[in-house]
Amino acid sequence: MTRRHTPEETKQAMHLIVGEMYDRIVKGEPPTMTLPVRTKNNIGFDKKLGVYKYGKKQSIRDATSLGSAKQLLRALHVVEFIEEMLVAGKSSTLREMYYISEAWGLGKFGSQNESNNLAEDLEIVTKCLREDFKLRPEEDGARMIGNLTLRERNRRGEWMRINARDDVGDSGYGVPYNVEAEKIELLEHDIDFIMAIETGGMFDRLIENGFDEDYRCGLLHLKGQPARSTRRIMKRMSEEWDLPVVVFLDGDPWSFRIFASIAYGAIKTAHISEYLATPSATYLGITADDIVAYDLPNDDLSKKDIEALNAELTDPRFADGWWQEQINMMLELGKKAEQQSLAKYGLDFVTETYLPEKLAELGLA
Amino acid sequence: MTGIAQKLASNQKQVAISEFFEKNKHFLGFDSLARSLITAVKEAVDNALDACEEARILPTIRVVIEKIDTKKDIIKLIVEDNGPGIPQKSIEKVFGQLLFGSRFHAIRQSRGQQGIGITGVVMYCQLTTGRTTHVRSKISVEPTAAVVDIGLDTRKNKATKSNQGREIWYNEDGSAKEHGTEVTAQMKAKYQKGRQSVWQYLRMTSIVNPHAEITFTDPEGEVHHWPRVTERLPTKVEGIKPHPHGIELGQLQRMASESTDSRLTVFLRMNFSGVSARASKELCVAAEIDEKTKPKSMNADQIRALLEAFQGERHVKGKPVKLLNPPTNCLSPIEEMLIKKGLSKTIDSRFISTLTRVPAVTQGNPYQVEVGLIFGGNMPADKPVEVLRFANRVPLMYQQGGCLLTKAIESVDWRQYGLDQPGAKGVPKGPAAILVHLASTNVQFTSEAKEALADNGEVIEEARKAMLEMGRGLRKHLDKKKKMAKTKEKFELINDILPAIAEKSAHILGRPVPDLAGSITKIMSAVISETTTTWNKETKQTDVLITLFNYTSRVRAYTILATWPEKAGAEMVNNETGGRKEATGVWAWKLPSLEPGERTIIGYSLGGLERGDWTETDVFFRGSQDVIGASKMDEKFLEEIRRQERALSELGDADSTQEEPAEPMGEPTVAPPSGQTTLFGGDV
Repeated sequence: MTRRHTPEETKQAMHLIVGEMYDRIVKGEPPTMTLPVRTKNNIGFDKKLGVYKYGKKQSIRDATSLGSAKQLLRALHVVEFIEEMLVAGKSSTLREMYYISEAWGLGKFGSQNESNNLAEDLEIVTKCLREDFKLRPEEDGARMIGNLTLRERNRRGEWMRINARDDVGDSGYGVPYNVEAEKIELLEHDIDFIMAIETGGMFDRLIENGFDEDYRCGLLHLKGQPARSTRRIMKRMSEEWDLPVVVFLDGDPWSFRIFASIAYGAIKTAHISEYLATPSATYLGITADDIVAYDLPNDDLSKKDIEALNAELTDPRFADGWWQEQINMMLELGKKAEQQSLAKYGLDFVTETYLPEKLAELGLA
Repeated sequence: MTGIAQKLASNQKQVAISEFFEKNKHFLGFDSLARSLITAVKEAVDNALDACEEARILPTIRVVIEKIDTKKDIIKLIVEDNGPGIPQKSIEKVFGQLLFGSRFHAIRQSRGQQGIGITGVVMYCQLTTGRTTHVRSKISVEPTAAVVDIGLDTRKNKATKSNQGREIWYNEDGSAKEHGTEVTAQMKAKYQKGRQSVWQYLRMTSIVNPHAEITFTDPEGEVHHWPRVTERLPTKVEGIKPHPHGIELGQLQRMASESTDSRLTVFLRMNFSGVSARASKELCVAAEIDEKTKPKSMNADQIRALLEAFQGERHVKGKPVKLLNPPTNCLSPIEEMLIKKGLSKTIDSRFISTLTRVPAVTQGNPYQVEVGLIFGGNMPADKPVEVLRFANRVPLMYQQGGCLLTKAIESVDWRQYGLDQPGAKGVPKGPAAILVHLASTNVQFTSEAKEALADNGEVIEEARKAMLEMGRGLRKHLDKKKKMAKTKEKFELINDILPAIAEKSAHILGRPVPDLAGSITKIMSAVISETTTTWNKETKQTDVLITLFNYTSRVRAYTILATWPEKAGAEMVNNETGGRKEATGVWAWKLPSLEPGERTIIGYSLGGLERGDWTETDVFFRGSQDVIGASKMDEKFLEEIRRQERALSELGDADSTQEEPAEPMGEPTVAPPSGQTTLFGGDV
């Protein structure tokens, strides 16, 4: 299990990376940085943890091309920057680090994506978390509504008790970027399951229809590909409260990926899958057969959609029979459908017919 | 082309000028209001350039166009030159009669072959506006300039002159003008912009006349200036007599009938080029005509037989009569370096390559192809390249599709040279302009409008070969640019990034900064060359430095070759590394072996050039291991250079091995073609 590191441990772990570069130069070789291959070809199912993790394939980033050499130099700048923050007891956002890199001359980042990726690289190699590095994400977390109560330490350091049904407005409880124990405590709940929803429109529809109370559930808006903190709080609620998680998404290849990252772990963050993934999560819909069964308004698959589906067929996370069937069916149909296409049958159809039917299949309604 | 002349001469009495003009305006260049203006500028500017060339004066030409009446499309045109000027009594002839001038006598490369010239402009002005054309001209030996208004009497078909006088001619700065001519004309015409415009005509003229300075003030008052980029006038061309391979029946008939020679052999030797004493006898045998026959007395069948012998259709001892090639010193190519200058002053670019082929002969006519390719800069990348066509230094602006020169461009698969060309068909696309110039004593046009060159397999092939070579140059340039970018990256890596990595990692770990030599060798793992070509202000020379680094762990040995503008008359100085000449324009240095981590520098300077003449040196290598920053020597490239060298020396030999002075450069015994009588009834 990924664990938190003290500043001293973090520094030592980072020095291992620096040491690798330094020692190679001393030996008269180009400096290198060794890290796991971060593609679907190098993720495997960890039976003990029940999630997908990086395998043994390593890639060596060596300074024989300008691009890689710059990456190494940037990594050194980031290490130095993190050390300074550890000493000063400060933290910064990834975006702030990107702007701070303006002063790094040759080691400056070309885009924020580069700095985000490098922070992940460092996590992977050092086995530290970015929280250990004092780096915060920019991404904003999910919204939550439902009869569940938690405690959040506010910026004055005081604990606040919040019920995500009674103490919030229509936009719900905003999940902060840090949902670790030092910031959030899960207190109590009176719900039967958690439903994660892809689009804001559907989230608001269920709230307006009072679905959370009628079906005794917590609703969570994912905002597309869910942020780390969103996935982390889902995992905590699922584990600490022993609640089932159902995932309600659009019916397209990208939604399948969102689900995989929730349930099995994302490829990009496979180094901390056990920390972020909720293996017990269930895909509720829209499934490929829903498109046919409910005769949903649909769109033709684009070239990119088809490529994505084909890639999923060889993705180990979708290796099981049910997924293979769904992906192949979608390819055969050549169609995809949005969650909100259920409105074809009226605004209440989703809450009165579709979801009850789907939940009944799972024994949740 | 004699067609026009004869037509004009024979019709002169019957046809009214206006009618004549109306009937023939399409090939006279006055078929649209826009084209009429271009034609007028063209006739005036061609005259100016020709006059300056003949008088060996560097031309300075001023063109002004003003809109007088926009509704009625009346335009005023002024063209002023600094030529030798025209004596007062000749002004009338030059501007008021057709076909005046010396161009008909001998066959040679000239700008305006047999057009009706500036007289056509005078006619057009008179017909469209009723106005005369004002001429002012000064010759240096006279203190004042002659002025006269030239018009024409449409009833009598005669030139008229009025307001004759003399005046002192002042330049704009108040100084007295020494010599020159100025034409002021008013005509019905339209000023247009774009590919077919006065601007484009002058721009193209400036490209192929780098010795000329041209200023153009357009109707909006904007001044366009194309500066002179060389002080060198085009070489004076020699006239040559017609070659038997290029002669037509009518011409032969006329020459025979006008001949005063007593013997056919003498007639053949004295009036044709390429005919030796032996050949003249053999031609008579082949044509089955007694060599003592008086040319004048030959009958039609004999003349036809002679023509067949000329064309190799009648044999002697089973073989056609062998004729010498005509001399090629009658051609005046622009030459590579000057085309380069002409192009670069007009078009902003990153790469220019120009090529002048060795003169060749087709159907008895000497000709020479020159091409130029200019790439990069601000030119649009998604449009067809600009095609700049020229015949004897005259821009061709119409009928691009039907022209031999365009077909030569289209015959090349430009895709392999880095330009877009869908389906390898048509004019390629890309940020480039392609120039083709055909210099010849007899340019064959598709029509009398003289805007497109007629098909000729040999000429197309010659032009195509030139294009291929040009294309290879472009490919090399593009490859080199890519390689240079790569090399630059590697240098940035070892010079900047690697030391930063070493320092930073040492700093973080609190250890000493490690030595980088080993890492550098491993990272580069190549031999790298860097070449700089720079103009040295103090020595007025172009300094070239070729540096070779061995960043491998082995000893390396190479021969390095570099291009230099030998043909343009450059000399190589301070070349301390020695070496030897590999071919024309290619020098080679065999270098001693280079130890790992070592560098060697070849340095030399090029004298006899001007700033901007030589800005890029191509470097090649011979050796087993690749050199980044240089290309492996393309032996085909060398072969082509050597082939051209051989062709050139053979031509030289051919000229010098004429058995006898078959080419006395004096006047031919036959008078020039008739047709010198003028439309206006004046005499020559």
